[in-house]
Amino acid sequence: MKKILALVLALMMSLTCVAFAEGGEDITLDVIICQYGPNTSDWFLGTGMNGTNFVDKFESENPGIKLNLEVVSWNDVYSVVDTRIASGQAPDILNIDVFANYANEGLLEPVSQWCPEDLFADFFPSFIDQSVIDGTVWAVPDLASARALYYNVDMFEEMGIEPPTTWGELEDVAQTILDFYEGEVYPWGIDMTTDEGQAAFAYYTWGNGGGFVDAEGNWVVNSPENVEAIEYAIGLVNDGFTNPNPATQTRYDLQDMFGAGKLAMCIAPNSMPSYCAQKGYEVNMATANIPANEGKSASSVGVMDRVMAFKDESAPDQAARDAAIGAFAKFFYDPENYVGWVSMEDFLPAVNSAVEALVASDPSFEAWLGVLDGCQFYPTAMAEWDSVKQGVIAAEQAALTGSDVQTELDALQATLEEMVAARS
Amino acid sequence: MNKKLQRKIMPYIWLLPSIALMAIFVIFPIMIVFKLSVSEVSKAGIVGGFVGLKNFKDAIALPAFKTVMLNTLYWVISVVGLSTVLGFIIAMVLNQKFHGRKIARAILVLPWATSLVIQASVWNYIIKYEYGNLNNILLNLGIIKEAINWRASYQIEFIWECGVGIFVTIPFVAFCVLSGLQSIDNSLYEAADIDGATFWDKLWRITVPLVKPSLTVSTVLNIIYVFNSFPIIYTMTKGAPSNKTDTLVTYLYMLNFYDRQKGPATALSVIGFLVLCLCAGIYMVGVMRKEEDL
Repeated sequence: MKKILALVLALMMSLTCVAFAEGGEDITLDVIICQYGPNTSDWFLGTGMNGTNFVDKFESENPGIKLNLEVVSWNDVYSVVDTRIASGQAPDILNIDVFANYANEGLLEPVSQWCPEDLFADFFPSFIDQSVIDGTVWAVPDLASARALYYNVDMFEEMGIEPPTTWGELEDVAQTILDFYEGEVYPWGIDMTTDEGQAAFAYYTWGNGGGFVDAEGNWVVNSPENVEAIEYAIGLVNDGFTNPNPATQTRYDLQDMFGAGKLAMCIAPNSMPSYCAQKGYEVNMATANIPANEGKSASSVGVMDRVMAFKDESAPDQAARDAAIGAFAKFFYDPENYVGWVSMEDFLPAVNSAVEALVASDPSFEAWLGVLDGCQFYPTAMAEWDSVKQGVIAAEQAALTGSDVQTELDALQATLEEMVAARS
Repeated sequence: MNKKLQRKIMPYIWLLPSIALMAIFVIFPIMIVFKLSVSEVSKAGIVGGFVGLKNFKDAIALPAFKTVMLNTLYWVISVVGLSTVLGFIIAMVLNQKFHGRKIARAILVLPWATSLVIQASVWNYIIKYEYGNLNNILLNLGIIKEAINWRASYQIEFIWECGVGIFVTIPFVAFCVLSGLQSIDNSLYEAADIDGATFWDKLWRITVPLVKPSLTVSTVLNIIYVFNSFPIIYTMTKGAPSNKTDTLVTYLYMLNFYDRQKGPATALSVIGFLVLCLCAGIYMVGVMRKEEDL
């Protein structure tokens, strides 16, 4: 008898890995939100929303809809989402930066299916344009940030100089800073790391009339303007005007150096002042346009993240599911909730209805909204964007170790053209 | 039930839970990776049809493939080789009788017991040019006049990564060797002393041959651990600049989740698995031969 019991126990032990799902009448939405900062989790799941949190408040206001919401770090989110897609467990709602691959592979539900019309009309149109492929809107922006040049006001006043507006001036200013501080302060910060090297590519090529794509939307990463721009940036490094290790010093390293008074100028997002305040840096800073080449116009760099809904063929009632996703969006962008979310992590809003409240609470927002209006964005709607992003970073890093910029960008362009040919 | 039959079956039933766990968490994922490596995998991770060896061809044709494989070779040889030599020496020292030996042994465990990500981050701070501890200490001691950029080129950065790898691997080797040393009968050394053997004679003719089984175990396990080691390189350089400090494991991670070339990435992980199987196979054959000799 004992032995039979043992046998049964052993078999049960082997079966414990198998779990059974419970059925229910409520609609449950799987939601993945990216961790933007230290407050994100608390706001969505803890007590960061005036003592309550997003999920509890949503569920009490929307009976019949349950949220299975996860906050995932930016480092892990790609592997988490890809793994879930590969195993057939894509989330219902995803907050992430890219969307083109998901849309191209038919995984996404068009925005028109789930987004209430009045909410859709509330988004800044120039933002919505960034999420269109073949005339269909696949995602909506959840927030944005804009980049500008931050400079150390005390240093510039001490030297009696103005922040540079052109590349030529930038070199002169950098030399002045090097001489004045006898090499103790890096004049200029460059981040060509795997984290965000594509931003450096944008700062310099857009400031030289180049860019990732031409007016028709074809990849032109090896254009003469781009080559000149990257050669200029690498030149700044080689002349000793920058932080010494651009391939491994991330934007956060640069922001720390800037905060500690070790770096005089740094391109950073609009959250820079609160980043420095949180870290306890007391640095007197101001913003200026990112310098451009002589005769070219400066352009600001905008970064935008998105919210998208995945298809779920297994859902019993598609209309009810779409309505539930719509209710989530409506609740998320309701100024009462959204304003707190955007200002908490120092981002810029994506909907008109939030602007008034944000400007009322912080007048400096107004200037940023103007910047955001003239921003250029990464071409994230193009299918090859992932490869372009990694490719330009690899090219920059190779150039840092002495490779020829033209050769590197030519090779990348050739690969991209092959990919485009294979796609069509 | 037939008693004899019961006796025969019983052990397998007791083994069933662990076999089932192994199957679910080890064998099944390995089989999936093998299947993926010969399938078309989309950028979002959707698995398509059979494509033969296309992923392997694409993986080998990647511009960084040669650099990455060479780096992996340098990484494994330098980390395993040097940590074995240094670990051996430290084990010899720790096998001597001296005051505070227990404390010394406990301290030795620390690098091994600390998480690799923390280790690598701490070393990042130590060798930082701007306000790193190493520069600060050397400056304060007056040994150097101005701060040195300890990460002046990617070759030097890779050497640092190997150095951290060695630092965290030494304890494991030292403890393996130490356990071997403690099992050596002291009378062997006494007999050698009477015959007039020098230190080197004793080392090469008594210590090394008798410690060899523990050394083999530690070396083979180390090859597997170090080959698969991800945190040090990912934390210190992320393979930058342009994959010049990547090893196979960090490279295939970036290829999969950043570059989204999922097909070639799975092919690379199969290549890595096969290389390690080869190493483990050589080891198993060696061990079995030894068992036959006994």
